[in-house]
Amino acid sequence: MTKVIDVELRGIMKKFQNNVVVQDFNLQVEQGEFVSFLGPSGCGKTTTLNMIAGFLDPDGGDLLIKGQRMNGVPPYKRELGMVFQTYSLFPHMTVAENIAYGLKLRKVGKAEMQERVKRVLELVKLPNVADRYPKQLSGGQRQRIAIARALVIEPSLLLLDEPLSNLDAKLREELRDELKRLHQEIGVTTIFVTHDQEEALSLSDRIVVLNHGFVEQIGTPLEIYNQPASEFVHTFIGKTNRMEGEVSGVEGERLTLRTKEGMTIHAGKQERPFAHGQKVVVFVRPEKILLTDTAGPGINQVEGQLQLASFLGSYTECEVRAGGHTLSVKVQMSDRSAEREPGTQVFCQWNPEDVLVMPAERG
Amino acid sequence: MSKRLSITLLTAPAMIVLLGVFLIPMLLMLLLSFQDENEAFSLKNYALFVQDPFYVQILWRTIRVSIWTVLATLVLGYPVAMYMAQATGKMRGIVTMLILAPHLISVVIRNFGWVVVLGEKGWVNESLIALGIIEQPLRLLYNELGVVIGLTDSFIAYMVLALATSMYAIDPSLNKAASILGASRVRTFFSVTLPLSLPGIIAGTTLVFSLSMSAFVTPALMGGTSVKVMPVIAYEQIMATLNWPLGAALAFLLLGSTIVLVTLYTKLIETKRYKEVFAS
Repeated sequence: MTKVIDVELRGIMKKFQNNVVVQDFNLQVEQGEFVSFLGPSGCGKTTTLNMIAGFLDPDGGDLLIKGQRMNGVPPYKRELGMVFQTYSLFPHMTVAENIAYGLKLRKVGKAEMQERVKRVLELVKLPNVADRYPKQLSGGQRQRIAIARALVIEPSLLLLDEPLSNLDAKLREELRDELKRLHQEIGVTTIFVTHDQEEALSLSDRIVVLNHGFVEQIGTPLEIYNQPASEFVHTFIGKTNRMEGEVSGVEGERLTLRTKEGMTIHAGKQERPFAHGQKVVVFVRPEKILLTDTAGPGINQVEGQLQLASFLGSYTECEVRAGGHTLSVKVQMSDRSAEREPGTQVFCQWNPEDVLVMPAERG
Repeated sequence: MSKRLSITLLTAPAMIVLLGVFLIPMLLMLLLSFQDENEAFSLKNYALFVQDPFYVQILWRTIRVSIWTVLATLVLGYPVAMYMAQATGKMRGIVTMLILAPHLISVVIRNFGWVVVLGEKGWVNESLIALGIIEQPLRLLYNELGVVIGLTDSFIAYMVLALATSMYAIDPSLNKAASILGASRVRTFFSVTLPLSLPGIIAGTTLVFSLSMSAFVTPALMGGTSVKVMPVIAYEQIMATLNWPLGAALAFLLLGSTIVLVTLYTKLIETKRYKEVFAS
């Protein structure tokens, strides 16, 4: 089967005055793919989305949608669907009129229009709100209607600009699942902008991690999580323990590392080659560390004292002072020993395979 | 202190002033309008209005001039308000200041300024003649056009500020939403911006209409003796003819017409849908 490319960015560049906000952005989005732009605020993700939508024009590079060069084409000629952070429903129109707006502009007949509005309302599971005004709906309902309005025109591409950011935690999760279901059901090519790594990880086929206008990495959620291309990607995607040190031994694929504080860590196979004596940064995720009361058989093992334990429902976040470091450890509730008092002596252990080593940045 | 008591105390000074200098004189004038020369009760001042077409014509002219002023301020003010709505906070401040700045000068001085500009030897006529567009100077003063120009200058600030206030409340992303759904700029304007600025349009038009109906200085200076409006003839009756009862009756006829017209107008525009959308 040949791949169909729906969206292509070729060396896209954008600057505001003399500030380059997006630089050399290259990406191909396949038909039906769900791609997220992930990064902190000011990383250029929204700017890029606005260029794809046509609200901004790139200062360099080419933008292609369905093989057509789109530079300079106004948004209203691009046949896209878009959902905004602030819902952006027309307050002076009923739900049905909001949804029908795009259909009216496309001169769809009245009977077909009503049918399509009805169908899309069922799709977003809100069949009974057609005659209400947006302000009579809850935030979650409004965003569903905004999604319905974007989908009803059967867009070639769906753009989601932080659509979940204005919702409270529980609704956000609910609507996230809803987005996933909708995408599986209709398979529309989707570009999703978010600063929330969980949203990106759970929804996406691929994630583009952006920082300061640069693409740090493009990959599947698993690749981004397990094989981060840079320290930024690794730290942005979730909490981690960071230790500076140097390589003290290389045996085949295995590395022995010594941190500045004097702790010895064994690491498994890494993406990059390392040399003896090289300055490195070592990462271990809190959820990869096992907390035990007695010493175990593992080779990465350090004794320490529990300093802080924050109970967070499904897990407990602990801080352990060990080997000159303060380690963050996630203890699952299934672990019966989760209820420890601060001050207890504990052992931290982790697998060499769960250790990530990166070259220390120069300077 | 109870909430009610504190409201009463807080509004008391203003209430006392309003009662003394506004409400009581108004009631006295109302009584006066129902009197004849011998201070006996009479409807003759109001009857005159029905009998003599002169007064009806003047009322109609007052309404006509006010409507033209409303339309002129609306058409000229709307783009300014649109600009302000999308400008940065700093630019909004500057534009607001520019709009209000002319009001720092007395309306009399400003009207005389217009007389200089619009007169037969004013620079508007002189330049049009110099450019060969016209041969004879245009009559821009001492007619209804002159009054409308003067009133538009006086009241456009109220229109712009009323419109801008309602436009600040429009979420700018609505324009983006309309655009991505396929609406051109013109279409977006008519289907989104215009209907959502309706509260500002209603506020601005009723405000400018009421102000124009009761304007005295500008019609007197820029209309001259040939374009008399209701406030001017009421003033003449009181100050020149010393017929206070007729002057008072004319003033109340003006007030009554303004209230009726504004009420009808808002009733017509504020449909059930309008109330549902804009009620807070």
